[in-house]
Amino acid sequence: MATATYPPPPPYYRLYKKYLEDPSSAPEPPPPIEGTYVLFGNTYTTDDVLPSLEEQGVRQLYPKGPNVDFKKELRSLNRELQLHLLELADILIERPSQYARRVEEISLIFKNLHHLLNSLRPHQARATLIHILELQIQRRKQAVEDIKRYNVSSILEDFNFVLEGSVRHVSVQQFHIATALTSNELTS
Amino acid sequence: MDIISQLQEQVNTIAGLAFNTFGTLQRDAAPVRLSPDYVEPPANGNPPASAAEDAAAANNPAEQPKLMSAELVKAAKQFDLLVAALPLGEGEEAQLKRIAELQAENDAVGQELQKQLEEAEKELKQVQELFNQATNNCLNSKKPD
Repeated sequence: MATATYPPPPPYYRLYKKYLEDPSSAPEPPPPIEGTYVLFGNTYTTDDVLPSLEEQGVRQLYPKGPNVDFKKELRSLNRELQLHLLELADILIERPSQYARRVEEISLIFKNLHHLLNSLRPHQARATLIHILELQIQRRKQAVEDIKRYNVSSILEDFNFVLEGSVRHVSVQQFHIATALTSNELTS
Repeated sequence: MDIISQLQEQVNTIAGLAFNTFGTLQRDAAPVRLSPDYVEPPANGNPPASAAEDAAAANNPAEQPKLMSAELVKAAKQFDLLVAALPLGEGEEAQLKRIAELQAENDAVGQELQKQLEEAEKELKQVQELFNQATNNCLNSKKPD
């Protein structure tokens, strides 16, 4: 049974021969890709934006404009949906063969609903960013407060006092040694 | 789960309830009377065995539409509740402005933190230096007996 071997490492590994001694002799990593790229036979794009409904061939039911009132539109779409469901029930009682158009309209309403909800996601992302920034500012202010609280200058004063004490202690001892030596000299 | 995902789940739930409702009603519906001339087949008169089965059999064709439509309306009301709970206060420009403000404030606080950190490190070095001197003095002044 023939097993496939692993692919060989990419040939530019030789460029990194002297990386340990001199990190700048190796090439820089490639810059990020912009635009579209092909991966395993599929084309992907780096520009992630929600495609508008017209591009997907779906009629847009809520009014287009710079500022859409999301709550109002969502509520009115919900009411439209309920009405259409009732219409479908009525049609099935009286003229059952004409269900197709009603079902299509119901699915249109669902698509509009989901598209509205998806277009709320960038707003949510910005709100999350604001929240994270606020938390970070709070943490940094807390850190500044902590540093100020453990005020080191008071410790420095205590330390100087101790040092002076030890210096005095040393000079007293030196005085003792000096007097002992001189007394030895005097007596010897 | 965040509010937008809850809303999306609620939309899917409404869709599921809708097609379950219509599918069940269509499947369990009695045959339609085509014309007064056709003879209706004799009704099935076997009494069900137990009371529980009787309750289930009796409820099913009559109560099901009511229960299922009640579920559908409840789900729609839940959707309206969730829409009302959306925290959709500001527009896009207001959000971007707030982000810029917060970034500026963040930078300022960060720089102050950096300054405090450097001063604290300097003082730490001073304290360490003094500590070294004190210990050296103590060590040097100890007379070897």
